Amino acid sequence: MATVPKVDVGTDYKEKYGFFVPEDYIFKAKRGLNPEIVKEISWMKKEPEWMLKFRLRSLEMFRKKPMPTWGADLSVIDFENIFYYLKASDKQSTSWEDLPPDIKKTYDRLGVPEAERKFLAGVSAQYESEVVYHSLHEELSKKGVIFTDTDSALRDHPELFKEYFGTVIPPADNKFAALNSAVWSGGSFIYIPKGVRVDIPLQAYFRINAENMGQFERTLIICDEGSFVHYIEGCTAPIYTTDSLHSAVVEIIVKKGARCRYTTIQNWSTNVFNLVTKRALAYADATMEWVDGNLGSQITMKYPSVYLMEPGAKGDVLSVAFAGKGQHQDAGGKMIHVAPNTTSTITSKSISKGGGRTSYRGHIKMYPDAKNSKSFVKCDALLLDDESRSDTYPYNDVDAENVTLGHEATVSKVSDEQLFYLMSRGITRNEAETMIVNGFIEPFTKELPLEYAVELNRLIQLEMEGSVG
Amino acid sequence: MPFNSQTLEELTFRGEPDWLRDRRRTALDAYERLPMPGRTDEEWRRTDVTGLDPGKYAKLEHANGFKQATPDLPKGVIFEPLSVAAERHGDLVKPLLFSAMHPDRDRFAALHAAFFTGGNFLYVPDGVVIEEPILRQHFSHEGGTTVLPHTVIVAGRNSRFYYLDEYIGDEKEAGYRSGSAEIFVGEGADVGYVSIQKWGRHAWHLADQRARLERDSRLRLFNVTLGGRFSKTRVEASLVGPGASAELKGVYFASGEQFFDFHTLQDHQVGNTTSDLLFKGALQDTSRAVYAGLIRIEKGAARSDAYQANRNLVLSEHAKATSIPMLEIDNNDVRCTHGATVGPVDPMSMFYLQSRGIPETTAKRMIVQGFFGEVLERIPFEQARTLVETELEARLG
Repeated sequence: MATVPKVDVGTDYKEKYGFFVPEDYIFKAKRGLNPEIVKEISWMKKEPEWMLKFRLRSLEMFRKKPMPTWGADLSVIDFENIFYYLKASDKQSTSWEDLPPDIKKTYDRLGVPEAERKFLAGVSAQYESEVVYHSLHEELSKKGVIFTDTDSALRDHPELFKEYFGTVIPPADNKFAALNSAVWSGGSFIYIPKGVRVDIPLQAYFRINAENMGQFERTLIICDEGSFVHYIEGCTAPIYTTDSLHSAVVEIIVKKGARCRYTTIQNWSTNVFNLVTKRALAYADATMEWVDGNLGSQITMKYPSVYLMEPGAKGDVLSVAFAGKGQHQDAGGKMIHVAPNTTSTITSKSISKGGGRTSYRGHIKMYPDAKNSKSFVKCDALLLDDESRSDTYPYNDVDAENVTLGHEATVSKVSDEQLFYLMSRGITRNEAETMIVNGFIEPFTKELPLEYAVELNRLIQLEMEGSVG
Repeated sequence: MPFNSQTLEELTFRGEPDWLRDRRRTALDAYERLPMPGRTDEEWRRTDVTGLDPGKYAKLEHANGFKQATPDLPKGVIFEPLSVAAERHGDLVKPLLFSAMHPDRDRFAALHAAFFTGGNFLYVPDGVVIEEPILRQHFSHEGGTTVLPHTVIVAGRNSRFYYLDEYIGDEKEAGYRSGSAEIFVGEGADVGYVSIQKWGRHAWHLADQRARLERDSRLRLFNVTLGGRFSKTRVEASLVGPGASAELKGVYFASGEQFFDFHTLQDHQVGNTTSDLLFKGALQDTSRAVYAGLIRIEKGAARSDAYQANRNLVLSEHAKATSIPMLEIDNNDVRCTHGATVGPVDPMSMFYLQSRGIPETTAKRMIVQGFFGEVLERIPFEQARTLVETELEARLG
């Protein structure tokens, strides 16, 4: 990155010269957050006027909103010391060979092309804010499936984009949704037409690669009536010395009878603040499933939610959190029952080790109209040593009639009997513990595609060896 | 006559020592200083007290507890009205009174500590066993008043006894009531404590029941909540000595427009301690229940075992229950489980009973009885069990 020439963007540069950045130049915004930065981002992306206004309005809201007073300690975030927009390469690549060599090397280590060769329909990999590599299976294009990066979607599908963008999570939702709305860049845009079933998972890899860089991707998925899609998002990031901020917004609309599954394996480096707002609207007889694995980051606050809008809607959250030394995983799920005969389940598995802290924070809300609805929450926590901590905060608000709601949680350690059994067969203590932990999260791993299950098991193994974090 | 210092000074707390008056004054300061809890306080988010102005009921009714049945107490046992004990046994009362329950926790705790109107002090010396339960009844005779009884129970080493506080009111108007208890369970002691809250259906009830358990002691606490239009009870046990075991059980039956709130804490400060909590409630008509409970395992509290469950049976379409069981676990060598359920009567059970010719109302009643049966068995002594069963029977109709 050091060899890349930089352009110093003066505050009045644009006004003075009326043009900006030749095609082969790389733009790196200044640190900090102000309307000028936001204007520059929008101008760089050649966005329509309404998006610029949307961004500026969101920035205003971000300024006004207070920091959350609950959950993890966020006071250490210095919003003025963060890059809000970076572009690694200004040209979109259409094939693997065209990718810049150092980006390719990173992905090689992550096994992206291999995974693609095996089964992926399309890969859209985000590297420093911009989607640099993108391909979509021809068959899917023919069916009318749109799978692109969010910036391109704004350009190429303006009407579809404007209809749904910001409707699930408005900028005023919370401070970090407002921040994302002001400076968002990249992310995936998916549209599945009526009745189309995408049998192969769509995948994007995200990475943060520049020090002190915020990543604010924005994902929007629309599943039209009777369609199905499985979207996979994986994150890995190298370890840096100063804090990074990741604040994404994911909006999903699942229309009548459709089903959407959204799988995340998140392994940010242990200095990243991961503050993500994920929300889906599920309409009549639709199913929304969040499969959410949180391994890395210093602090994660993430509560994927489903708004069950019409009768028969179903929501699922399956979540795994692993907190090692210095980490706090404050994760969970929210199920908002708006309509009658809706059902939801939340299953949470958390593991704390070496002084790490995992918190389950969930919310089940049943509005007065949500008659005959059912919800069940199950949280299991495993504490691997006596320095670690686990909390459970399930908030349940029931205003509806004739509903059934259940919550169960357990906290335990690795049982001595299990350890003894494995060790008596010549397995080392560390290996035995790793096996037990992998067994503990098995209900989660079995929902993942094989490659991801293998990768997750490998990550757990690394965490258990203490070689990561 | 508002709740102010003038009232406090004018009231003839006859026979009360200076230290107690000072404490009341400090608590009054807290009452005047503390804000009314609002919707932004997590503990009060679902519990609306905007309609409550304790000042409206600032006429105090004194009640030291009617001596329904006091067994012949063994030598050395002190059982006196709290104000009398404060004067005669200051050395015992002074270090303990309001040491488990904190008057500055919120406005209502402060009000209780400043103006508590009688209540009893029981001291059972080391090794003393009282087989017959001690039963106490607290009455409110009129509406529009404030009744704030306070019970302090001190169990000496290896002592064993049972105690019942029954709060009764049939007033037709609103009033402000509490019924708080502080229970100090000494090393190896075994205490059974039951409270039955049957204030009138228009009363506001806010109470704290707080226990402290020393090494190898056992407490079986049973809370029964039936009365009041609004009732908020905090049931909290701190386990401070290894081997301590707290059993916290409760039943509630709400009907009409009653609103019940329970806040429980199982505070494992040291290891090798056990707590077992089960609160079961049935809700009729348009009643509401809110339960929020926390198991806290402190850092060094290894080999602790904690269980917490809240079960709500919703009998009417319009009744509602909210249940929030929470865990904060700071040690790995523990066993913690909790659960919460809210749901209507199981239609399969109803169908089964009705298919055997049992009428619908009887079937429903049988299911509710069965629902409560499991927890009623845990009432620590026979008299209390009979009393609670009778009360529930009457309410099931």
